[in-house]
Amino acid sequence: MPLPTFPNTRRLLLDCTSFLDHQIGGGVCGCCGALRPRYKRLVDNIFPEDPEDGLVKANMEKLTFYALSAPEKLDRIGAYLSERLSRDVARHRYGYVCIAMEALDQLLMACHCQSINLFVESFLTMVRKLLEADKPNLQILGTNSFVKFANIEEDTPSYHRSYDFFVSRFSEMCHSSDEDPDVRIKIRVAGIRGLQGVVRKTVNDELQANIWDPQHMDKIVPSLLFNLQQDDSTESRSPSPGSEKDKESPAELTERCLRELLGRAAYGNIKNAIKPVLMHLDNHSLWEGKTFAVRCFKIIMYSIQSQHSHLVIQQLLGHLDANSKNSASVRAGIVEVISEAAVIEASGSIGPTVLEVFNTLLKQLRLSVDYEVSGSYDTYGSKTVKVHEERQLQESVIQTIGSFANTLPTYQRSEVMLFIMGKIPVLGMYPVLGPANTGFEGSRMIQIMLLKSLLQVTVGFQTTNMLTALPTSFLDPLLSFTLMEDAEIRLLVLHILISLIDRHDNQLKFTPIRIITDIGALKLKVDKCSRQDNLFMKKHSQRLYRHIFLASKEENGTSQHFESLYVLLGLISVELATEDVVVDLIRLALALQDLALTNEETFPVFNRCALHALSAAYLNLISQLTTVPTFCQHVHEVIEARQKELPFLLPEDVFTDDPRLPEKLEKVEGEVLFLQAKIAETLGGSGYNTERLATPYIPQLTDEDRLSKRKSIGDTISLQLEMESRHSPEREQRRSPAEQITFETLKQAIVDSASLEEQERERRRQVVERFQTAPFEEIAAHCGARASLLQSKLKQIFEITIRPPPSPSGSIGQTQGRSVPVYEMKFPDLCVY
Amino acid sequence: MSMEDYDYLFKIVLIGNAGVGKTCLVRRFTQGLFPPGQGATIGVDFMIKTVEIKGEKVKLQIWDTAGQERFRSITQSYYRSANALILTYDITCEDSFRCLPEWLREIEQYANNQVVTILVGNKIDLAEKREVLRQRAEEFAEAQSMLYLETSAKESDNVEKLFLDLACELIREAKQNTLDNNDTAPMPGEGKTISYLSCCSSLN
Ligand SMILES: Nc1nc2c(ncn2[C@@H]2O[C@H](COP(=O)(O)OP(=O)(O)OP(=O)(O)O)[C@@H](O)[C@H]2O)c(=O)[nH]1
Ligand SMILES: [Mg+2]
Repeated sequence: MPLPTFPNTRRLLLDCTSFLDHQIGGGVCGCCGALRPRYKRLVDNIFPEDPEDGLVKANMEKLTFYALSAPEKLDRIGAYLSERLSRDVARHRYGYVCIAMEALDQLLMACHCQSINLFVESFLTMVRKLLEADKPNLQILGTNSFVKFANIEEDTPSYHRSYDFFVSRFSEMCHSSDEDPDVRIKIRVAGIRGLQGVVRKTVNDELQANIWDPQHMDKIVPSLLFNLQQDDSTESRSPSPGSEKDKESPAELTERCLRELLGRAAYGNIKNAIKPVLMHLDNHSLWEGKTFAVRCFKIIMYSIQSQHSHLVIQQLLGHLDANSKNSASVRAGIVEVISEAAVIEASGSIGPTVLEVFNTLLKQLRLSVDYEVSGSYDTYGSKTVKVHEERQLQESVIQTIGSFANTLPTYQRSEVMLFIMGKIPVLGMYPVLGPANTGFEGSRMIQIMLLKSLLQVTVGFQTTNMLTALPTSFLDPLLSFTLMEDAEIRLLVLHILISLIDRHDNQLKFTPIRIITDIGALKLKVDKCSRQDNLFMKKHSQRLYRHIFLASKEENGTSQHFESLYVLLGLISVELATEDVVVDLIRLALALQDLALTNEETFPVFNRCALHALSAAYLNLISQLTTVPTFCQHVHEVIEARQKELPFLLPEDVFTDDPRLPEKLEKVEGEVLFLQAKIAETLGGSGYNTERLATPYIPQLTDEDRLSKRKSIGDTISLQLEMESRHSPEREQRRSPAEQITFETLKQAIVDSASLEEQERERRRQVVERFQTAPFEEIAAHCGARASLLQSKLKQIFEITIRPPPSPSGSIGQTQGRSVPVYEMKFPDLCVY
Repeated sequence: MSMEDYDYLFKIVLIGNAGVGKTCLVRRFTQGLFPPGQGATIGVDFMIKTVEIKGEKVKLQIWDTAGQERFRSITQSYYRSANALILTYDITCEDSFRCLPEWLREIEQYANNQVVTILVGNKIDLAEKREVLRQRAEEFAEAQSMLYLETSAKESDNVEKLFLDLACELIREAKQNTLDNNDTAPMPGEGKTISYLSCCSSLN
């Protein structure tokens, strides 16, 4: 390479200037006769005749001693060494180059306590020169010196020092594509170490060009990731023999460097450091493969200061939003990364991001369903949707919701449950269910997805205080009968209830549904019903019973439904049972038997048999739990009679793959039936409330229900408002529409509903009466009109109160169309009146 | 006393689609050869060449970027500090020409707005395969107020001229800048006092 050489005149000029400088500055050695100043002679002497001999040690000591005793000469020594080095580089005298560098390093080390600013300048010029050379050895030599320098702590601040070139060059070296694999790796390693050096040197020095600026981060981070990614390929190429083992691979070194970098990032720098990671993963299509992206973010999450980790999650969520229209596999990859990262975050500190994570995940779930149903990613239908990929994405979002929820403490989990519940659209009452083209099927799928998510969140949820964990605002929509018609949805709701009530991992002990001969063998874990549990049941038991009753009645029930109902009954009996509860559960089981005996022609044989089997299985269980011998006796006798005459009224025969059912049910009477009077009698002897036991169960609404209705509206408002404040960084701007609501308006809303309730109370007896006699649907239809009056009034007010939480990406318009505001979920239940 | 062995230092960054011949242009200029079987650039590449123009030493720091999409984020980070951009396309590849507006958007977004941009149509030795007419490219360049040059890295046509013209233009601008704001440090070509003599004939 034709590097230009110095014209001699220039050199002479330089020498003269230095000489003059020296004369003026020092004026020490004018008498010594030698024309060259002392420091130059000292420098010249460290170079041997033959560069092979290496640095002349003794003379180096002299030079060091001189520099230490006359630190003001350091800059000139530096300049002169640098000048020699430039010349040697140009003349390809690499031996001397190395010697000059060694000398510089030593001087730097020896003198670093002194003010070395000017010296550093010439030092850096030399490193730079070496890095500019196209010889790998010189580049590596320069890097090594730079790294040594980077580890020196300077005591004086240095202005005007630019590391721009170093960042650029080291980043470039990280991408070396030298033909020789050994050289390539060496250069790349040098690049990584160089970057590490720059980071160390600058990161805590406020005077330095800010290393966290995008212009630097956008070079440093991708260069590191590029090498991190090379892991596999380099490893497989050189199966390092024993001697190499202790040597770090480029990937290992990179990881260390990355961790160091991230560990030093302050709050304000996280974003700049993470952004290039996202870009790199985008550009190199690394989301789909997942493993590398997950690895990156594990490194990130474990190395940044834990109080900043929510920032990373936020950025990931934003990125997921930004990729809403990207392929499902990309979205799935980001979701997976979020799930891994969020778990790490949650186990460290509970950031303010919890609900944001769920909000984004639910939004993605919804989007994915929309895509799947509509078949395209946008209204123009340009790209076709891969349904099975969308399905996978939905599964992984749901899994993520579950695994993240699992890390949360109880109170946050119930907050999340409420949040998800609030997103579930309830059929028939929703004018807007996302984009028009998804329609009924779309909202049904959303319901299913959200309930699946909810189920994931409830798995392993064990609260000691059911009352606070499951407020009315949660139970209301969950138990609303609009979530009952569809068989799949109904089953999900049952599973959620099971999961919520089962706090001692008993549920599996009740499956399969069967006649249990020895309850002791189940090894049920039981705690005494606590005061809160007791209160919970006082407040909500009637709705639970009603739900079970109505769910049993649905004609599209399958074995799974009946089994779940059995498990649910069993769990209530072991988790929440008081004497009252036991009495009501027995009444409920008997009511199921009555249901099976109904003379409605169209009621299918399977359902009749299943109901008989369910009530038998449950009465068998509860009789053993009460341990009242006469009760057990009665139950036993009925079961025996059935085994002989009508085995298809027992679970073992009904709930099989191939149930042996008769064409028509006949002669179901006499000893194959459980007798309410008999049971009341047997239990009365043990102190149970005989009168109540003898009264047939009829599903009803309690005052508790009615009162809570009003409160739950209030709950919902406060939840929604809280959501809003949590989610809006641009809160100030969004205030203005909200300002229109005053306390009065809100109060009015509640009072209005209350006064309506007053009116209603007067007609209460009538209503209850009708309720008890008329079929459910009829009542619902009757009350629909009145309910919608209240609904429209409330809605009007909510319209000005509630704005959907802004999405992290800020695409508010989209959110408005798609997210279902919490308040809408309330109204269907009003039909019940 | 300056330790530097040049009067001007300029950073030049080459950009353009993959395979248009950026690396070949740089290697032709810095090493005087046309590399057989030149592989795709990974990330960024770096070369230095010092030239003398009217007695002044001009050091050109040349950053050759990868055209491949996947390296886009790191290559973009190099635009910012560039004094000049060489936007390259391949005259035998219509596609590489059609991508130019996209590249201009990148420049708009990431580069310093004082950057000098020159459009280069490479591979003119393959005249029989030409897909982009010279006039069309010239018009495009003019509309975007870019300089335009056609080159062949293979035959060494206009390669020297490309870099030297660019260096001249940069010197001219640097002098203009120092004149305009005398007290601020000269941004490009961090150097010494600049004489008022114009350095060379205008481009094209
Ligand atoms: N005939 C001809 N071929 C050329 C010329 N310049 C480059 N090539 C060929 O074009 C191909 C790509 O050249 P490169 O210089 O690697 O292209 P690049 O723009 O650096 O590509 P990336 O690094 O991937 O962005 C190589 O096969 C070269 O031999 C030229 O002037 N004439
Ligand atoms: Mg290239």
